[in-house]
Amino acid sequence: MNPRSTAVRAPYGRDAKYAPAASAGAPVTTYYGQPQLKRSHWGVRVALYIFIAGLSGAAQMIAAAADLAGGESCRGTVRRGRHIALLAVAVGPPLLIADLHTPQRFYNMLRIFRRTSPMSIGTYVLSSFSLFSIVTAFAQLMAERNGGGWNRLARTAQLPAALAGAGMTTYTAALLAATSTPLWAAAPRALGVQFAGSAIAAAAGALQLAGRIDGDDGGAAALEGLALAAAATELVGALAAERQCRRAGIGDALALHRPWGALHQLGAVGLGAAVPVAVHAGKLAGRRPRPRLMLTAALAVLAGSFALRLSVLGAGNDSAERPQQSLGFASGRNRR
Amino acid sequence: MPIHPRALDYPASELGEMIPDEAELTAAVKVEPGKSYGFFTDTTRCIGCKACEVACKEWNLLPADGLRLTGMSYDNTGGLSATTWRHVAFIEKIGDGDGRATAMPPYQSNWLMMSDVCKHCHNAPCLEACPTGALFRTEFDTVVVQQDICNGCGYCVPACPFGVVELSLVDGKAHKCTLCYDRLKVGLEPACAKACPTDSIQFGEVGELQHRARRRVDDLHGLGVARAYLYGAPDGPGATGGLDHLHAFFLLTDAPEAYNLPAAPTRASNRVGPTLAAGLAAAAWLALGAAMLFRWRS
Repeated sequence: MNPRSTAVRAPYGRDAKYAPAASAGAPVTTYYGQPQLKRSHWGVRVALYIFIAGLSGAAQMIAAAADLAGGESCRGTVRRGRHIALLAVAVGPPLLIADLHTPQRFYNMLRIFRRTSPMSIGTYVLSSFSLFSIVTAFAQLMAERNGGGWNRLARTAQLPAALAGAGMTTYTAALLAATSTPLWAAAPRALGVQFAGSAIAAAAGALQLAGRIDGDDGGAAALEGLALAAAATELVGALAAERQCRRAGIGDALALHRPWGALHQLGAVGLGAAVPVAVHAGKLAGRRPRPRLMLTAALAVLAGSFALRLSVLGAGNDSAERPQQSLGFASGRNRR
Repeated sequence: MPIHPRALDYPASELGEMIPDEAELTAAVKVEPGKSYGFFTDTTRCIGCKACEVACKEWNLLPADGLRLTGMSYDNTGGLSATTWRHVAFIEKIGDGDGRATAMPPYQSNWLMMSDVCKHCHNAPCLEACPTGALFRTEFDTVVVQQDICNGCGYCVPACPFGVVELSLVDGKAHKCTLCYDRLKVGLEPACAKACPTDSIQFGEVGELQHRARRRVDDLHGLGVARAYLYGAPDGPGATGGLDHLHAFFLLTDAPEAYNLPAAPTRASNRVGPTLAAGLAAAAWLALGAAMLFRWRS
């Protein structure tokens, strides 16, 4: 392909010192269509980690909220939240270390702290989340056996655990946004909102399911409401992200990357947000849904939350290798 | 460039020892810690000989990337990689798209050639992304991956706005141009600049190079090359989005995109704050909502 065939004749040099390359959506000159950026190597493993980190972090947050604000009927929810938080503690570090290309040097992550690097921030968020979550769960276990002071320790350790949990839901969005990959970099704020919303919706769904398995519906009504609010927040984030991408000149970016676009539309937006919103809206409208329908919504939220991470990772990686998108994103109009 | 008077001290064709501060003789610059060094790549002087690619591979012991051409031009690697730290791009310019040109503008009329390299950004996104501190800023103000620390997390790869850094699957570490850190340490000019037969690649102190480059742009404008401009010099294209300026910068005569360079790259770490703030705000509002729901519904 002749690179000039799609060239935008921008006057460079003396006459017009520098002009941005193209207006939104216009084809961009490329170097024989060669990739301008390199894709990250992150795949299913990292998508799974981001999903579990969000799920566990949000579960700890919800457990703390139920502990502080809820009554005696929420005790089961608090306990289950503390247990779900241990998922990221157990599975997170092995997933991340396995994703390194020199895993035997994983401890070098703890050499420094760099506030410009979300991966460095995340290292310490995950470490502190793990520490406080273990203390919380251990104190919970001891309190069930001995009672007394252990309960107080569990409550005290849960506050920092929940704060770190909030970090677990969001830092992974910063990890993606703080790159040059156009699809991740185009809508940083919206990505943060999407990831936080999706994590909390997933945790609310997981807690509903766990409560169902335990045969305890204390706090179930609150969890349903929370899942609805979180799914709605995620939906707002998804719409904002799409708008920002279009404004950055990489519009319909997700749809371009098959199969990720379909996964995003059906999985992340459909299962993750639209299905629970519809089920809960039906409930608010006064129709009493069967419990099985509510559980289906909870499962859909969980599947959608994973689909969101997988599709954003996959489509983002593909977008890095499309020079039309990367050069278009890094053209003058997106200067900041 | 006039011959340095010290060059007369070394008339032999084979040397028994290293020349102290050899860069003074080859690039008219003394390499001293604490100063900023970089490359000025003047594409109007590039003849596409790829001596820089070869010199780089020879000195840094980098393997060949296969004996092939991309088939689109005289390019044989397509871009920079873990084992290609200099890459000569060839852009065919014959004709005006519609027909055969009858007159040619001066300098690189039929082919644009440009030796691409790591930009050693003033605010380097790869360095800012590195969670281990393997990527660091040297005493020569260049950006280097410490191979004994890198654990192959690969975060620098998508962080780079120029697609320079790459993970090697052979040793599991990130690799890129070191601006010949080992050579600078002993006062030698980087291999690519020393090998360049037309001085298209010039090594020196960044401030002095920028001065030289601006003069060259003025000269070219005087000679009728109105499209000549600097990429990566302060306040120009390439030096955008918080990157400030690039220590390896270029003189180009076509849009940056034609050379596979982004017109307005951004500093990736600019996006850490906004993402965390928005995400944590959403999480906080949902946590508050959760607390209220638990209070009312139980």
